[in-house]
Amino acid sequence: MPDFVVEMKAIEKSFNRNKVLHRVDFSLERGSIHALLGENGTGKSTLMNILGGILSYDKGEVFVEGKKVTANSPSISKRLGIAFIHQELTLVNDLTVYENLFLGRECKKGLALDKKSMIKGSAEVLKQMDIDLDPCTCVGDLDASYKQIVEIARALLENAKVIIMDEPTSSLTDVEIEHIFRIMRSLKEKGVSFIFISHKLNEAVEICDHYTVMRNGHVVADGAMDGTVTENLLAKYMVGKELSNDDLYHTRPIGETLLELKELSREHEFTGINMKVRKGEIVGVTGLLGDGRSEIFATVFGCNKHYKGDVKICGKTEKMTSTAKALSLGIAYVPRNRKENGIIKDLSVGCNISISILDRLRKLFFIDRKEESSNNSRYINDLNIKVSDIDNLITCLSGGNQQKVVLAKALSSNPKIIILDNPTQGVDIGAKLEIYRIIMRLAECGVSFVILSSEAQEILMLCDRIYVMFHGKIKAELKREEASEEKIMVLATGGSLEKAADSN
Amino acid sequence: MNEKLKRLDINKFSGKNSALIAVILLIILSIILKGSTFLSYSNVINILLNNSIIGIISLGMTLIIITGEIDLSVGAQLALTGLISISVANNTGNVFLGVILCCLLSVILGICTGGLVSKFGIPSFIVTLGTMSIFRSIAEYMYNGGGLTVKGDALSPYIAISNTNLFGVLPLPILYWIVLSIIIYLFTSKTATGRHIYAVGSNEKASLLSSIKVSRVKIVAFGVSGLMVALAAIIESARLGSMDSATSGSSYEMDAIAAVVIGGTSMSGGHGSIMGTFFGTLIIGIINNMMNLLGVPPFLQGAVKGAIIIGAVLFQKRLDRKSV
Repeated sequence: MPDFVVEMKAIEKSFNRNKVLHRVDFSLERGSIHALLGENGTGKSTLMNILGGILSYDKGEVFVEGKKVTANSPSISKRLGIAFIHQELTLVNDLTVYENLFLGRECKKGLALDKKSMIKGSAEVLKQMDIDLDPCTCVGDLDASYKQIVEIARALLENAKVIIMDEPTSSLTDVEIEHIFRIMRSLKEKGVSFIFISHKLNEAVEICDHYTVMRNGHVVADGAMDGTVTENLLAKYMVGKELSNDDLYHTRPIGETLLELKELSREHEFTGINMKVRKGEIVGVTGLLGDGRSEIFATVFGCNKHYKGDVKICGKTEKMTSTAKALSLGIAYVPRNRKENGIIKDLSVGCNISISILDRLRKLFFIDRKEESSNNSRYINDLNIKVSDIDNLITCLSGGNQQKVVLAKALSSNPKIIILDNPTQGVDIGAKLEIYRIIMRLAECGVSFVILSSEAQEILMLCDRIYVMFHGKIKAELKREEASEEKIMVLATGGSLEKAADSN
Repeated sequence: MNEKLKRLDINKFSGKNSALIAVILLIILSIILKGSTFLSYSNVINILLNNSIIGIISLGMTLIIITGEIDLSVGAQLALTGLISISVANNTGNVFLGVILCCLLSVILGICTGGLVSKFGIPSFIVTLGTMSIFRSIAEYMYNGGGLTVKGDALSPYIAISNTNLFGVLPLPILYWIVLSIIIYLFTSKTATGRHIYAVGSNEKASLLSSIKVSRVKIVAFGVSGLMVALAAIIESARLGSMDSATSGSSYEMDAIAAVVIGGTSMSGGHGSIMGTFFGTLIIGIINNMMNLLGVPPFLQGAVKGAIIIGAVLFQKRLDRKSV
């Protein structure tokens, strides 16, 4: 008889008249890591919000450690030992680690804060996790994986028995992800259970003991993650049909050099960058987070006026002084972090698509509405953007569709070169494949792409040529045929291929 | 289902037009309280005329607030530019020259403010707190703290700018206010720059990465606002026949900001509308008018007005939430 720490039975939930959970069963074994998978909007967040006490449920029962939970509120769930780590971390960057850990529950000595016992408490919990981290470090100085670790530490400090992690790895690099996984595994041995929500199926297969797949508010599959469960199987459950990406990559004619970077440097960011992008070519730039690749292409797009070296476009050296100039030279840019840099949240879907090219849609003083809407509907159809009304706010769309809108905005200027920074961040697997197919289709029409990503798989699937970066420098250039995940990993962490070969 | 759809539409409509609804409610309330006096021709004209100056300044202020900035200097700028307009007209006898120079100067001042904000990244609150003090001080220094009256050849044409009735019934300042409102409305909703103003206020970084010239957009907003201030200054000085360096335009910035906010424009930028601002100005005007009609003691009127401003915004927030 397995020892279940959480059991949810026949949970039903509706928003207005819209039923989002249909008799969902979910049980979590003590000391296990359980993957909760599904595309966006399939009800997994709703289910977890019910467990976390944030939402109520209409029908069904919830048991925690065998006892039925009657009331539900965030504070009750917390008391029962359920901690929820959201995708957007809730740490205060200007405070230290221990201050963050004890935020809202500070130890006091009379009226004053009891710093000593808080630091001691923090050190203990970090030691329990085998983490070497000074509790007095400022959280703002930590890198992304350590921030995640501080979140976990905070959960442990609250005596959490169950930790729900919503897309914990979406902003982490492979090395950092390994780090988090190591900690999750060691905590699992100590009896802590995890619910792991992720779009990255390879990670789920790697770390989880059980899986539950949801689709349209139903549980469509669940079971133990034994050797027979593969990414493809999980993807099939999620989407409800066979997905294949074998036919994704096509070889195609590659033309003359469109973009060339010569000894491009910017202080503290990158040095001596030499790169070439040819017509119709898909070039990948990969490495760890903070390796300078985003900064290089922000500079190419005209975000930073001061740089050394040359940017050549179609053989002509251009001074990249503004984003407007970059656009007029035929460069488009899809930035990372869609929410901060991509979407304009107060504008409608249509306005978001056309915002870059309004000057071209002008008739006398005014925007030509007919021209604008025909332009917009072209991209809505081309990119298969699912939107009920083009005049709705962009925030009404799912993550994948928002990303397609940002892509449509970039395409609307008919660019020759498109720079994509983390193009599939927070996008579910179906939409991801769609975006890949769009990229491939455009490349066949002669558009060049630069794809910046730390997901090696993505890069390997799409790119003709790959640059691997390390600490602001290009470490190596690989052709599609010679690239592999292992090689990229070795190069991105500062190793060299000869040494790796020797040690084998 | 049909009924549900209808209800949703009503919610959506009331969210977008909360200022209009507030105006209608206020008018109904005023009619109940003071029916015939409130609705009389002279009272209606009085309300519109007394608020046309603030109404015009609020149009420019709306643009600035939508871009996520603020301008505290409009009152002082009104005094300074109005004085210059009168002085040029008096000295040359040419009213047209006075008007043109006044507009030109004010637009340049607006562009400079916008430049300091966007190119040098100084918060607009600070920049305009400074320029407010500078403009007021220069005006007071030039006229020794006193005022200037329109006189000589310029007198009758200058005064005529504001003291003429169209068809004998509609005072020109009201017409100016309505026409300028329509022009600025078309500018915000139909032009590329207008749309860019919303985009920049909503997400400056994403706008920059969408190849919008963010600095230029902000400078345009401040420049247009400068023009509105100049026009308001001319209309005000023509109406009164004079301008005072110490008292003219004082606290106009607060009235204008209040009108914009009551009109549903968000102080954090990104959304708002000229229509809303028009009705926001009317709301303040009707409240002021009703307090006079009801005999609220003058020294208490500020308190009542303040409470109503907060209440109006609270009311709108509720409507907004429903419409989402």
